[in-house]
Amino acid sequence: MYRQRPHWYSGDLFLLGGVLRLVHHAPDFINKRSICLLLIVFFLGQLFCQMNEPSGRLIAGDPVSFELDVQPVLTSAGCNAGACHGKQRGQNGFQLSLLGFDSDFDYSAITKQSRGRRIFPAAPQKSLLLLKASGEIPHGGGRRLNKESDNYKTLLAWLQQGNARAIPNETKLSRIQLNHNSRLLSPGESDQLLVTAFYADQSQRNVTAQATFQSNDPAIVSVNEKGVLIAGGLPGETAIMVRFMNVIEVCQVAIPLPNPVAESYYSSLPINNFIDELVWKKLRRLNIKPSAPIEDAKFMRRVYTDIIGRLPTRKEARQFLKDGQPEKRKQLVNDLLDRPEYAQFSANKWADLLRTNPYRVGIKTTLNYDNWIRRQFRQNVPYDEFVRSLVTARGSTFRNGAVTMFRDRRSPDELTTIVTQLFLGIRLECAKCHHHPFEKWSQGDFYSFAAYFSDVSRKGTGLSPPISGSEEIVTETGSGKVFHPTTGERLLPRPLYDVLGFKMPTVSQETGDEVFSDNRSADSLMEKLRQRDSQPSLRDQLANWMTSPDNSFFARVQVNRIWADLMGRGIVEPVDDLRATNPPTNAELLEALAADFQTSGFDQKSLIRKICNSYVYSLGSQPNPENVSDRLNHSRHYRQRLRAETLLDSIAVITGVDPTYAAMPVGSRSVEIWTHRTGSLFLDTFGRPNPNEDPPCMRTNEFTVTQSLHLMNAKEIHAQLRNEKGVVAKLAASEKKPLEIVEEIYLMIYGRFPVEAEMQFAISVITGENKGSGGDAEIDGNRKLENSEATEKKTAVGSLRRAGIEDLMWAMINSPEFSIQD
Amino acid sequence: MANEKKCDGSTRRDCLRLGLGSLVAGGFVGSLQARAVASDALQKNREADACILIWMDGGPTHYETFDPKPLAPVEIRGEFEPIQTRVSGVHFSRHMKEMAAIADKLAVVRSIRHNQGNHGAGNHYMMTGAPPRIPVGCGAFVSFHPSLGSVVAKELGAPNGMPPYFSMPSMSRSGGPNFLGAKYAPFVVADDPNRRGFRVRDVALPSGLDDGQFAARRDIRQAIDKMRRIRDQSAGDPAMAFDEFYQQGFEIISSEKAQTAFDIEKEPGEIRNNYGRNPFGQRALLARRLVEAGVPFVTLYNGGWDHHADLFSALDSRLPSFEATIAALIRDLDQKGMLDRTLVIALGEFGRTPKINSRGGRDHWSNAMSVAFAGGGVAGGQVIGATDRQGYSAVERVLSPESFVSTIYQKLGIDPAKLLRTPEGRPVHLVSNADPIKELMA
Repeated sequence: MYRQRPHWYSGDLFLLGGVLRLVHHAPDFINKRSICLLLIVFFLGQLFCQMNEPSGRLIAGDPVSFELDVQPVLTSAGCNAGACHGKQRGQNGFQLSLLGFDSDFDYSAITKQSRGRRIFPAAPQKSLLLLKASGEIPHGGGRRLNKESDNYKTLLAWLQQGNARAIPNETKLSRIQLNHNSRLLSPGESDQLLVTAFYADQSQRNVTAQATFQSNDPAIVSVNEKGVLIAGGLPGETAIMVRFMNVIEVCQVAIPLPNPVAESYYSSLPINNFIDELVWKKLRRLNIKPSAPIEDAKFMRRVYTDIIGRLPTRKEARQFLKDGQPEKRKQLVNDLLDRPEYAQFSANKWADLLRTNPYRVGIKTTLNYDNWIRRQFRQNVPYDEFVRSLVTARGSTFRNGAVTMFRDRRSPDELTTIVTQLFLGIRLECAKCHHHPFEKWSQGDFYSFAAYFSDVSRKGTGLSPPISGSEEIVTETGSGKVFHPTTGERLLPRPLYDVLGFKMPTVSQETGDEVFSDNRSADSLMEKLRQRDSQPSLRDQLANWMTSPDNSFFARVQVNRIWADLMGRGIVEPVDDLRATNPPTNAELLEALAADFQTSGFDQKSLIRKICNSYVYSLGSQPNPENVSDRLNHSRHYRQRLRAETLLDSIAVITGVDPTYAAMPVGSRSVEIWTHRTGSLFLDTFGRPNPNEDPPCMRTNEFTVTQSLHLMNAKEIHAQLRNEKGVVAKLAASEKKPLEIVEEIYLMIYGRFPVEAEMQFAISVITGENKGSGGDAEIDGNRKLENSEATEKKTAVGSLRRAGIEDLMWAMINSPEFSIQD
Repeated sequence: MANEKKCDGSTRRDCLRLGLGSLVAGGFVGSLQARAVASDALQKNREADACILIWMDGGPTHYETFDPKPLAPVEIRGEFEPIQTRVSGVHFSRHMKEMAAIADKLAVVRSIRHNQGNHGAGNHYMMTGAPPRIPVGCGAFVSFHPSLGSVVAKELGAPNGMPPYFSMPSMSRSGGPNFLGAKYAPFVVADDPNRRGFRVRDVALPSGLDDGQFAARRDIRQAIDKMRRIRDQSAGDPAMAFDEFYQQGFEIISSEKAQTAFDIEKEPGEIRNNYGRNPFGQRALLARRLVEAGVPFVTLYNGGWDHHADLFSALDSRLPSFEATIAALIRDLDQKGMLDRTLVIALGEFGRTPKINSRGGRDHWSNAMSVAFAGGGVAGGQVIGATDRQGYSAVERVLSPESFVSTIYQKLGIDPAKLLRTPEGRPVHLVSNADPIKELMA
């Protein structure tokens, strides 16, 4: 049996909880509060004593296991960290597996490599391993272990016992448990996390000292190497990751606002649909009050830029704002979703994630791929069908654009990383080379998944960059094998996790091989696959598993992506990183959205409609004192800079002058561009993905100084404002009064009517008057002049007026109200 | 949450705080403060303030530039005879006359080698110090790691709101910021400074608009902007970042120093002639002016060095004026007293094959390449490393792209072993196994 020692503290905590509950129900004449306090003080005292008791200490003579004792010490001392001996080529010739996930490798590195110089069995305390780690001889990484520490003693004991790879009847770690998985703290408060390891032989022990702790946001709650949580000064939430060996647990910590808000406050908040209900529920937990809702103009600007990716035209804006119908917001959302521009904008977003480099796959192939993506959105193909067609695509790159992913990514492992990230929100790339440091995924998981692509084959002409102009046909051969990169074992296709109706293979008791429920062996499985008619192909099986109604990852990642687009922040960020160690800010909401998406038959328009019709969507961005620092829970709208294409296309609409794009018909919008090789200084400046980076590409919508310089001085925008046939020239030449012109301009650029003071000032700009001097009288004067036949004066006034309009529009385009969605 | 944290470990809040600092302190002082924050002990020992990287895209031949092999058989040594340089015992190839005349200011490394024999991968390796993560083809334009210029932009910054990283006339294939973010992408000046009326895009007012009009527009903008800012930093209002960058933009437009730097017409005609009245020559001159104004990294991108055919006639026509421009740049920096603090480097992605092929050209060859260094505390008159007698491969003091890139970082006071974090949380060294070339250090 593996070290059976009494470990009573976790039981103690249960006991404490029980006693407290008992006290709570005790009759009133007992002073409950003081009893509770006493009890808590008593137990905390015990806990404290226990923390000081070296928990990982060995009882003299206890056998020390390499895997269960030594490895955790090396990990907690940082020896096998990614920046040290754990990196790919090791450090100064000594390489360990990253975070100790490969004990065989590490055992060999420590005891055998370099002719075994790292250990000295004759005098264990003189082993290089200890001398270096304790800094007795110079060590590039400094002193990692104190000679007095238990961790040092564990290593020494292992060496003294003869440095065996394993002890007799060695058990296995089955799980770890934290004393809290979710915790509310008040600002500045601290708390101890305790980690208990449970082993297969039913033993358990406190491994807090060997566990590693990491806070996702140390500004909210920090954690030290002993597992002590320290809440920062501000309310907020974050997650603490705890790792012991290859097992990971998460503790979610929240610091609510100190002042409780009455229950009735939340129950009186409006509820348009389930989204509101779940957001309010979360806010109530944190005592946060939502911001006030927005007026029609802001709502209009939001839905236009969110759904069709451009600002409303002045006509559209006027029509909506003047509309008196009570249901006009809902109607606008429906109306926008039905426009072809919605399809173009959505396709543009997916193109970021899928778009290939024409220098690699060929220009025709890239165009076909883009056309295919756009067609899916024009036809409003359900999301599961979209993914299925992509993942199971077969045929010629010249006929079926969907096969392009298989032309670009040519090996099962390359396909694995993009498919899992995009469609499951699982970033598996780490597990390609080593066990995932923040997740349960191993290399075995990675390559077993990769085996789904093992029989993809290609005919025709492969890549020949930079032209790659030829045709290629993607098909399946029914053969092709994937092997584990370190063990060399052949791996069968296996999903990452179990969902209903898709059994994971089990390990055969006799042979140790993986077998499927119907006793398929690797070869017989492949044989069956060759009989294509009777059996779905591997990729079909994969698509079945991915799009199964019970595979919640599939729906969650896409609803999260859409939520993030509309709400300014994902429920999980980054949007396609659904890690256990990266928990959602509102798990219930994410589940509910995913379930709704599945029920709707994966209809993205229905999802967008639900979100845009929620009350939460229409909250203002201006904070109240309680929610100013909330950047996670959607208690207010999060302002964001508009996308590059939205800005560029809007400037084209505002100025009435379309830019021209290479390889695009005249009058195209930038959102329709099918390759990033089409040059555009504007799009590059505002952060469209670098064409040299591999998809999937993430956009940043941060501001930069080059963006402000470009909006101010770009000769292209200058030319658009000065164009003889542009809006500025037309407005100046029109019979419209300055008041009308200002109104038009405000509607075009800000999507609202100007208030009185703004109107007065803008008129003075257009008429060339000084600020504030009464406009209308002058304007009438101007008009009289124009009407009279003083031709030379007309020209002078006309150009003055035109310069004024130009200045006004320049100023508005360069103000944040234009480029930020409020 | 995790993603709120930037790759450099600073949160968005910190950035805002820095930005606010520069608003409060005003202009230049603010930028200096920002620079001071970035500085550390390494910064005190830095040997150069700026780097001008001359990138000869395609892979220039080492035989016909800095590493002639007169004793090799004719099919290897080629048509050009070597010439004596100013440093006794050191020979360059025939056309390198001006460089030979300043060889006492140059350190030529003849022994950098790597294993990426195609343009896409070679460019990536030399521009970033990291080999491409997956095999890439010749035509590939890939980015897996932040480039030299982007890292320098992030670490050093520039005064007066100047963009810290320029690339002219285009970005090199792998010259982007990768995970550092768009903020550190190069500021590309595509226009030809050799043409009359040249202006640097965006930083100068568009033609047809004078300073007075621009000032009036600024006032209108100020008056018209009614968007309510959320001043509390914890709110992370993008409008606050917007203000910060407009402030910086106005600074650069109104800074006389910055505007002078961009105005190449202010340069005396004689100096302009020295650099050569051609696009590359004038870009080199503009690079010097930018460095003078505090820009720490300028890439001069020059394509067309992929001579698979007709190597000798091609070099006859283009090499003399090209190398004269580089020499003029080094001389000019020297005369202005700037050479000590400005590192000038000329290279491409690899060298070229020893045997001249049937079309009279040389093909890709990454087993040997020559890289020329000048200034920035580099001791001149040196040749570091050597290739074998026929120039097949680097044999003495064999150096890697990692050494090359870490040399530049170290010179500029940036720790080449610095640990960065990708957005996925993966720890990545700026340069893996960083080992600067010690012969080039002061």
